[in-house]
Amino acid sequence: MAETTGTPAAAPDLSVRLGPLRLANPVLVASGTFGYGEEYADFLDPGRLGAVIVKGISLLPRPGNPPPRLVETPAGMINAIGLENVGVDRFIDVKLPLLRQRRATVIVNIFGNTVDEYAGLASKLDGEDGVAALEINISCPNVKQGGMVFGTDPATAAAVVGAVRARTALPLITKLTPNVTRIGEIARAAVDAGTDAISCINTVAAMAVDIFSRRPKLANVFGGLSGPAVKPIALRCTYEVLQAVKCPVIGVGGIGTATDALEFMLLGARAVQVGTANFVNPGVSVEILEGIERFLRFQGLDRIEDFIGTLDTECLFPFAEDACGVLDLS
Amino acid sequence: MPKFQENALILDHREVADRTWLMRLMSPKIALEARAGQFVMVRVRDGIDPLLRRPLSFHRTFPEEGCIELLYRVVGKGTLLLSKTVPGMNLDLLGPLGNGFDLPAPDARGPIALIAGGIGIAPLFDLMERIALSNPAFDPQQMNLFYGTRTVAELLALSYFGALGVRVHWSTDDGSFGHKGHVTRMFAQFAEDSAFRPESLYACGPLEMQFHVARWALAHDVPAQLSLESLMACGLGACLGCALPAASPDDPAADGYVHVCMDGPIFPAGAVQWQKLQVHRPPPPIFLSD
Ligand SMILES: Cc1cc2nc3c(=O)[nH]c(=O)nc-3n(C[C@H](O)[C@H](O)[C@H](O)COP(=O)(O)OP(=O)(O)OC[C@H]3O[C@@H](n4cnc5c(N)ncnc54)[C@H](O)[C@@H]3O)c2cc1C
Ligand SMILES: Cc1cc2nc3c(=O)[nH]c(=O)nc-3n(C[C@H](O)[C@H](O)[C@H](O)COP(=O)(O)O)c2cc1C
Ligand code: FES
Repeated sequence: MAETTGTPAAAPDLSVRLGPLRLANPVLVASGTFGYGEEYADFLDPGRLGAVIVKGISLLPRPGNPPPRLVETPAGMINAIGLENVGVDRFIDVKLPLLRQRRATVIVNIFGNTVDEYAGLASKLDGEDGVAALEINISCPNVKQGGMVFGTDPATAAAVVGAVRARTALPLITKLTPNVTRIGEIARAAVDAGTDAISCINTVAAMAVDIFSRRPKLANVFGGLSGPAVKPIALRCTYEVLQAVKCPVIGVGGIGTATDALEFMLLGARAVQVGTANFVNPGVSVEILEGIERFLRFQGLDRIEDFIGTLDTECLFPFAEDACGVLDLS
Repeated sequence: MPKFQENALILDHREVADRTWLMRLMSPKIALEARAGQFVMVRVRDGIDPLLRRPLSFHRTFPEEGCIELLYRVVGKGTLLLSKTVPGMNLDLLGPLGNGFDLPAPDARGPIALIAGGIGIAPLFDLMERIALSNPAFDPQQMNLFYGTRTVAELLALSYFGALGVRVHWSTDDGSFGHKGHVTRMFAQFAEDSAFRPESLYACGPLEMQFHVARWALAHDVPAQLSLESLMACGLGACLGCALPAASPDDPAADGYVHVCMDGPIFPAGAVQWQKLQVHRPPPPIFLSD
């Protein structure tokens, strides 16, 4: 442990590299939980974030699923939005310029019903000023065609990633679903097909019913669970993926505090995404960023890169004599 | 319109009717910007269960004093927890959110109808106060409030409305006070008997009630503003969870959605496709375990 000295240390270096993508800091906001970036501008400066990942975009606008589309569950929520979005053309014409103005680093989450649609999206977004990377969503549980189907089979996952890779020079991030038996295999297929990084995880397939109306609480019956309830699942998936592949991994699922974020980074995630927590506290992503910075100072670390992946997998019996365990990062 | 996150001090909090609580909060930034019909997202407590905020409409606003009042009905976990909070505590609020009601034109003189079902009275009270304040020439007797609840215990006291001088038409489903039956029936009957044609109509209440109001307004060509509800996660237009099926009269093929938190919560009667809404009655007011 570093001794505290009289002179304030220089701010720790929070920048991270994810393959070809270099981010000013590791705190990103997850697709579908931050709109197109404008929605939260009253509460925080999107330019401060490592990146803003926008709502999933398809070639044509999509109305999404019928309501009710969401339900709250203990420590989480289930959504069945069904990838409602404005379509790629309107995104480029209307939404992207606003994000550019805010000097936000933008990652576009893309989604198609067919491999060709993914490829078409990549072509349209390739070279668009202000797009830093593409996140390929092969993991949405809320759409009948495409979506999660692509993410549950290594061959189709590879086909999508390969088709996108062929159409763009942008850094590619592939977003995986936890709704599979061996997530490492899907990750390996995506890496072999040319993805530069992996996001892990999308929502967990889930359900809720009402004993009074005797009906499902979501019109779609099933939806995707997110929030604190899924963090242990996301951590396990991240760990498995990190063991299966060498490429950079972005942890996502139930992150709402700096401690949560650091847990993923301890495993080896090079960045994190904050999702549902944005709904609870619109400024939370910046608070997490500040909490990470405080943690690094406290630990006497100059660079976040020095913390990433330093997990010692030998588990010791915990004793509460070390004050480090109760450091308040919030 | 700016939105704020404010840590609001609870100044007063009491039960004013059956399971119905009135809370007064110090929230100067939000109070200054608030319009009638807008709402706040309330964090009922720290921690992760319940995780999400709860939307509550402005019941009254006092921009000069920097205060707002919320009126809410305890229906589940979140509102139950909220009812346990006491003056001196703080609540984290986001607001003001949504579009709010349009007030009648400054030269409006004709009658106005306000239809409230149950806790739907909450935003209409602010609206009535603002109409009275913004338009001194307006005769409060021209404001007709049709107010119905299940039973007399849920009705807000008469004295509450006295100061405003509006005409209140009461109803209860069980006939324990005022007209017996649904408030929409009372309203339709009154309109028919007295050839009552409001210049504008405002309503808030359960979806089923709003459906009847919308049908009446469309059939009689009366401009209506309905405060609609939907389950919300963000309240800001980011999650797209609060969708209702949109009806665009010009384009019958349109099958998109409107979003209650940003396109609403106030909508004209023809804005949503009522037949596509699966309206089912809310559960009986009991709690099984909590
Ligand atoms: C824009 C807006 C303004 C509102 N203003 C007020 C207000 O001023 N006063 C007030 O009492 N209530 C208001 N509501 C409704 C209020 O938000 C819900 O009653 C509250 O969220 C329920 O939370 P809970 O945790 O107590 O119930 P839960 O445990 O979440 O649910 C209990 C029961 O209430 C139903 N319910 C939950 N949320 C809603 C909702 N949004 N609309 C209708 N039924 C719901 C559930 O389906 C369930 O049957 C408003 C809703 C919206 C969308
Ligand atoms: C309302 C909502 C909408 C979402 N939409 C998308 C989407 O369009 N594309 C996508 O890849 N993930 C989407 N997600 C998944 C999130 O990006 C994230 O992977 C997931 O919610 C887990 O993180 P969390 O627990 O921090 O929310 C959505 C999640 C929610 C809650
Ligand atoms: S509640 Fe999130 S978009 Fe309306």
